[in-house]
Amino acid sequence: MYNRTMSLHNRIAVLRAERKLPRAALASSVGVNPQTIGFLERGDYTPSLELAFKIAEHFGLPVEAVFSPRPFRTLSEQVYELRKREA
Amino acid sequence: MSVDKDEERSWFWRKIGFWFAPVKAGALGPEEWAKVRKMSRTGKNRRTRRLFALLWVPGLAFEIAVSLRMVRLDPWAGLISAAWLTILMGLAVRALRIGFAQVSLEDRALMEYGAEFDALKENQRGEIFQRAVRDGLFGRVNVDEHEAELRLRAQGAAYRLMGPALVVFVAVYWAVCLLGPFEATRSALAVTAVVVTWLAALVLAAPTMIRMWTQPDEPGETAAVAE
Repeated sequence: MYNRTMSLHNRIAVLRAERKLPRAALASSVGVNPQTIGFLERGDYTPSLELAFKIAEHFGLPVEAVFSPRPFRTLSEQVYELRKREA
Repeated sequence: MSVDKDEERSWFWRKIGFWFAPVKAGALGPEEWAKVRKMSRTGKNRRTRRLFALLWVPGLAFEIAVSLRMVRLDPWAGLISAAWLTILMGLAVRALRIGFAQVSLEDRALMEYGAEFDALKENQRGEIFQRAVRDGLFGRVNVDEHEAELRLRAQGAAYRLMGPALVVFVAVYWAVCLLGPFEATRSALAVTAVVVTWLAALVLAAPTMIRMWTQPDEPGETAAVAE
């Protein structure tokens, strides 16, 4: 039996915190209920492609910067690695 | 009514009345706000929802028992009783659906005033509470994609449970009709059993039939690839 179980990791919570963006504001901007944003952040819901693109567009980032099939590395790790590479 | 007059309020106001009272500045005391917020949080957790789901089974049994008792008194009274109880259950289910889409008081405070609930003025808290009660009673559910998916999943699960349950029900119905002590009415009962079987078959085949009706033509390979 088909079951939609593939989990998609996302950075919505981090991006919201970074921009001090309330759940309701993001929800109304992308046209969903505020609870849906909460479920997305908690990893309880995998969004449709349309919603994923809308969210990425809202943050002005490519979709792969917001959603990933593999767990994201922390932003601090990535920044540190980038600096090391530049040095 | 001001907050410092807690002890002057009646038992009815302190236990029930305040839920429905028009809210103005200072209408609810700290004790009542604590109750309101506790209730708001309790209604949002899975444990409470599961408790309600479990209570639904005895509720349904009660509905059937009352209707059967009324049918013995008078068939029309049985019909009215069954219809009335079904309407009540329908309203309860509607209220639960609305409840799924309601946000907590704390989230409402952030959404509507951009501040924590505790930081709001008394009349702002009152407005939020009043709107929450009103939305809970008369609100609509905004069916976004997540809500739609949850509904579809729940309907799918209900249908999967109903399939085997219907088959067992039809088998038991036939067994009772053919083997029960109903010599005088056996042939009439067998007719109802045929109708029940037909209805069960209709319900079980319906999803496939709907798909047969709605599925678009199969797309073939595009010419550019086929050449």
